[in-house]
Amino acid sequence: MDSTALLLARIQFGMTAFFHFLYPPLTIGLGLLLVITEGTYVFTNNQEYLRITRFFAKLFAINFVVGVATGIVMEFQFGTNWAQYSSFVGAIFGSPLAIEGLFAFFMESIFVGVMLLGWNRLSAKAHWISTILVAFGSTLSGVWILVANSWMQTPAGYKIGSNGIPKMTNFWHMVFNPYFPSEFIHTIMGAWEYSAFFMAGVAAWFLIKNNKDMVMRKALKVAVIVGVIVACGQILVGDIGAREVVKYQPTKLAMMEALWHSQKYAPETLFALPNNATESNGPQIGIPDMLSILSYLNPAAKVMGLNAAIKYINKKDSKLDHTKLTLAMFPPVWIVFWSFHIMMYFGFYFALVMLIALYLLIKDKLFDSPKMLKLLWFSTFLPLIAIELGWFTTEIGRQPFTVYGLLTTVDSVSKNVSVLDVGLSVAMFVLIYMTLVSFAVYLFKRELRERAEGKDELSGESAKAAN
Amino acid sequence: MNLNILWFILVAVIILGWSVMDGFDYGVGGLLNFIAKNDEEKRYVINAIGPVWDGNQVWLILGGGAVFAAFPLVYASIFSGFYLAMMLVVWLIIFRAVSFEFRSKVESAGWRKFWDADITVTGLGIALLLGVAIANILMGVPLNKEHVDYQSLFSLLNIFGLVGGLISLSMFLMHGSTYLIMKTEGEVQQRARSYAKGFAIAFIIATLLFLIISPIFAPRLLGNSLGLIGDIVPVIMLIGAIGVILTAGSSSDIKPFAYSILAIIGAVASLAVGIFPDIVPSSINTKYSLNIYNSASNHLTLLVMLIATIIGLPLVLIYATYAYKKFGLKVKMDDSSY
Repeated sequence: MDSTALLLARIQFGMTAFFHFLYPPLTIGLGLLLVITEGTYVFTNNQEYLRITRFFAKLFAINFVVGVATGIVMEFQFGTNWAQYSSFVGAIFGSPLAIEGLFAFFMESIFVGVMLLGWNRLSAKAHWISTILVAFGSTLSGVWILVANSWMQTPAGYKIGSNGIPKMTNFWHMVFNPYFPSEFIHTIMGAWEYSAFFMAGVAAWFLIKNNKDMVMRKALKVAVIVGVIVACGQILVGDIGAREVVKYQPTKLAMMEALWHSQKYAPETLFALPNNATESNGPQIGIPDMLSILSYLNPAAKVMGLNAAIKYINKKDSKLDHTKLTLAMFPPVWIVFWSFHIMMYFGFYFALVMLIALYLLIKDKLFDSPKMLKLLWFSTFLPLIAIELGWFTTEIGRQPFTVYGLLTTVDSVSKNVSVLDVGLSVAMFVLIYMTLVSFAVYLFKRELRERAEGKDELSGESAKAAN
Repeated sequence: MNLNILWFILVAVIILGWSVMDGFDYGVGGLLNFIAKNDEEKRYVINAIGPVWDGNQVWLILGGGAVFAAFPLVYASIFSGFYLAMMLVVWLIIFRAVSFEFRSKVESAGWRKFWDADITVTGLGIALLLGVAIANILMGVPLNKEHVDYQSLFSLLNIFGLVGGLISLSMFLMHGSTYLIMKTEGEVQQRARSYAKGFAIAFIIATLLFLIISPIFAPRLLGNSLGLIGDIVPVIMLIGAIGVILTAGSSSDIKPFAYSILAIIGAVASLAVGIFPDIVPSSINTKYSLNIYNSASNHLTLLVMLIATIIGLPLVLIYATYAYKKFGLKVKMDDSSY
């Protein structure tokens, strides 16, 4: 295998996954928020909640189609660029993808048409149920996609067959592999967290212009209440997820914490400049004993460093015929360390911002505080950065494996695809995705501007019906 | 009947579901710039598929997932072997997927013209490439001992591939036209009636041409392993298309669409019968071919997936029926339409 082709294939996968995941979190999370706002309208008949729902549904629609468009390649890319991977694990990894289509994506995609184009065709309650099915379907999509991804982190429910290829031995063990529950909860809460910030940020933008906008006041209120619960809960959930990594992926944990050598009373490093060549961190600031406490709830516990973890994996998987791991096969530790740490710092920032917003909301000062509104507007898309950094940690941290402990990335790539082919497709994807992102941003801005200029969420017949 | 044969049939059913349900979306898209004369008519045509295209597209995703899970070696070898052709299809689908929503958001003429062209080109392109790919598989691909192959985009565009492409192109355009007969009224419907007739004739000509040149390019199609059934299914194709020709001009709005579905059933069944029990024949050595046994997952995976399909597919049909009912037989525009 040509190493340039491998590099290009990795760039293509990383880039298309990165761009794709800019969209599904909002589909999942805004879906939930729309269920809340539309439900409030259905049960109280308060028109302001209908207006919130109608306006944010427009933004939802733009985000949704780009999510669908960028998701298609994810379904085919395993076959085109990772043919060896697909032949090796298809019998296990393929099933959650097919089940996702059958049970989740159909529900989501059929009802999204009903929801977005059926405002005048369904009763309020039936429409609300369609919205619920869209939100439920997209969350269920998340379940099965994360089953597939978490299986790559902690493979389970399989046995190596006589031909050297793993075969499924227990479907439910595959589904509920050790990493699945925490990865799922962490990812879905990340989606809710981003969506709460998205709704809060957009509402704040309108309130900065006109703080008598009663519709957006209500939207901000909903967003802050959801946001504060999710942002605080996420810190706890993140901690649980990290402890699963301690148990099952020692090399990833060592890279996340920039721990080169095993250590008792290991510190939680807050700042470091990890260097793979020297296997050291340079200047470093940390909280003494904290990593041992977080990992094992015991300050004296020994945490495995990267070198020891590599030896551990080599010994544990000695029956597999992939080449012995060496440090040279691992990614630069600083990428994993900083992806993880910046995400974590963002997590604390989000909780803080939402707590302050809640405090001001309770004191009835939130809508009259331009500074806080500006901070919320500024923070609109920050959770998206945190989400992507989380995926950097998970996916780069899993290297040099595609399936942890079972299959290396080098052994996963298509052997028959040339540098020219992958190079061409990478270039096309860059072009296409840049175009799509620009269109989406342009249309988002346009929706905001049109509403600010007085074009109502409700127009024509629905406005008549509502009044 | 064993699980491998059952899964071969199920994959054929999913391809059929995709062709019937999403086929008219591509057909309608490909017709857009020809059948609709102004923005109002274009919106009318787009809204015929507006509420349903996204749900229909999931058949493609399901097909990808089902082949991945049931026949992973087929998934790996075809998708990597047809690399740039696959990517081209993906790019077309991406630009199709955003087009309806994006088009409706801005009213300027230039913006809409861009997306109209986009909808038309992506519809035609996908419809054509599908047949090209399938004809090439029927002809056999150069799979080596490890079931690995490589085909450049241009080597796929051979005569047999192109005739196959003409079949799928005319089939989807016929299907889209009959769908519009069912969903529209007035002038657009009249135009759809004559387009349906024209494309049904084109479909018959392309199919006959394909059958005539098959002995040269894909002799396996004639000596299919299923005997009589193999001879009957192409006839169903032709009956369906003739039915479209006979009913397109009549007063019936639904019959042409029903006949078009029949033609597609015949086409997918012919494909399945023609290739069985192989899935990807090797043109180098028949021993290297991927068939329903040597490319399949193990028993448990096939069984779990079968159970999932038995539970899941009826649910899909229930959702879809509900959605189609809510939007009525004829397109009615309102303020939430595209």
